[in-house]
Amino acid sequence: MIYRRLATPLHAVRPAVGCLYALALCLAAILSDNPVVLAGVGVAVAVAACGAQVRGGVAKAAKWSLILAIPLALINPLLVRDGLTVVARLGEWGPLGQVDVTLEGIVYGAVLGLRIVVLVAASSLFALTVDPDGLLRLLRRVSFRSALTAVLATRLVPVLAADGRRLADAQKCRADGGGSRVALVRAVATGALDRAVDVAATLEVRGYATAARVGGRRSPREPWSRHDLAFLASAVVVVALALLGRYAGLAGATFYPETTIDAGVPPVAVAVAVVVAAGLPFLDRRGIA
Amino acid sequence: MPRSPLLVAAVAGLLIALGGCGLGSGEGTKGASLNVTLDFGSKTLLDTNEPKTDGEDTVMRLLQRNAKVETRYGGGFVQSINGKTGGTDGDPPEDWMYYVNGIQAPKGAAATQVHDGDSIWFDRHSWQATQNVPAVVGSFPEPFLHGRDGRRLPVLVECAELQSAGCDKVVKQLADLGVVSARNQIRSSFVKESLRVLVGPWVAVRDETIVRRMEQGPSASGVYAKPAADGKSITVLKPDGKPARTLGAGSGLVAATAVPDGFPIWVITGTDDAGVVAAAGALDETTLHNHFALALSGGQGVDVPDLSP
Repeated sequence: MIYRRLATPLHAVRPAVGCLYALALCLAAILSDNPVVLAGVGVAVAVAACGAQVRGGVAKAAKWSLILAIPLALINPLLVRDGLTVVARLGEWGPLGQVDVTLEGIVYGAVLGLRIVVLVAASSLFALTVDPDGLLRLLRRVSFRSALTAVLATRLVPVLAADGRRLADAQKCRADGGGSRVALVRAVATGALDRAVDVAATLEVRGYATAARVGGRRSPREPWSRHDLAFLASAVVVVALALLGRYAGLAGATFYPETTIDAGVPPVAVAVAVVVAAGLPFLDRRGIA
Repeated sequence: MPRSPLLVAAVAGLLIALGGCGLGSGEGTKGASLNVTLDFGSKTLLDTNEPKTDGEDTVMRLLQRNAKVETRYGGGFVQSINGKTGGTDGDPPEDWMYYVNGIQAPKGAAATQVHDGDSIWFDRHSWQATQNVPAVVGSFPEPFLHGRDGRRLPVLVECAELQSAGCDKVVKQLADLGVVSARNQIRSSFVKESLRVLVGPWVAVRDETIVRRMEQGPSASGVYAKPAADGKSITVLKPDGKPARTLGAGSGLVAATAVPDGFPIWVITGTDDAGVVAAAGALDETTLHNHFALALSGGQGVDVPDLSP
């Protein structure tokens, strides 16, 4: 998952706005209990990924998130004791006691799983579309070291991925057809420590530890572009819609003790509005080279 | 050795069937009742003999079907019922406790199955004096009719004097409810899984070591009344364990206690024979309803614990 500057409206916005846009999608996913709205936020992330031409990266991240989402969705009905509609009685499970699988537990587990997928997808959209250097410039006034650490970590991921690919290729050249994945992970992890030491030494040589606090001389204020304003407005509208759906009774959902999910036109309208609000800024391609 | 998938499936199916597993909510329970009270049964929030049920409900699900319940710890702990919250914030700290057929449940409400005829009682009360009230009398005629864990238990009436008015009255009261009981001397029972009813003046009843712990107060027995060792008085305690009033000659007491995870022992006792007869006379559903224990003085019932300001 590597940031590359592409000719899209989202890549053209300032890092602060790109960051807020992704954050708004994450917040909408957290706020939305209604599965229809949550699915709408998922579609909005997909639309944004297509508009930003990072569909492959976001899809890959979403696929990996299933490793967490599926077990969570399966475990929730077994551990949660709330819920009134029993669909299966699994008897006594030692310390867990009587395990009854309820419809409410299944539905909430599924919503939790979906939320994780959407959150990971939105986070990957952030990682793929927001310039880490721009983010460093943005945050260094607040906490230079934290910003530097975050940027280095972001940059180190693709480097380690490349290391992993090279090592895997080398494994395939062995007479026995290749070693185990565990050995590969161990080698990459060890390499990561080596690379971290190298980075630390480089930073020290370049005098980062004694660097004066940045911010004395500000760079000239960059004017807000139409894309900045459009994505900022989009972020505000997405969060407002999520809040409206949750607190104005348009798209509510309660899961325990009985599942009640608002259905009909209002939740669908909120979901569609989220998708439209998130996708609209991509239609304006003026000034995108 | 090759295994037949059919055989494996059959064995798995058999294990599931034997393990009480199945699809759906299972067969419904009949005749259960639900009672929700505050402060040792003094205020009733809900009292129904026909609660909504569905299939093999747990106590938690039965409660949730009939009241607005907030839970903690993954749904295993009752935090509030109909807006009445438990917790340590208040003074004194209070929490929701529950009893099935007058017996404090050893497991959480989400892990306890409701059986036919069970009487479920949730009460929010202070646990300043004790967290452990192993048995209460307010669900009478339970546990004599439906026992524990869906199994009716043999009833042994152990009397200080086999031919006494108090003993006769207790046996008759139980017989009127359709409960067949065996009558014997105190401490003559060797049946572990039984419901024992000890009847007699305190000086005789206290021979039973489990019952004698009532003299040490609620922290030892769960009963908010302390009979004096000489049997001449019964001190009724407040919820904080402090003495509220002392009852003298002619006083009676109906209480229940138990050792942890043991079977309840009911005590129909008094300072003297008159007190025992008075206590035996109180052995009916209306008089005992919603009482943790009941003392009797001058023909009047005295709440145990004493809740007067």
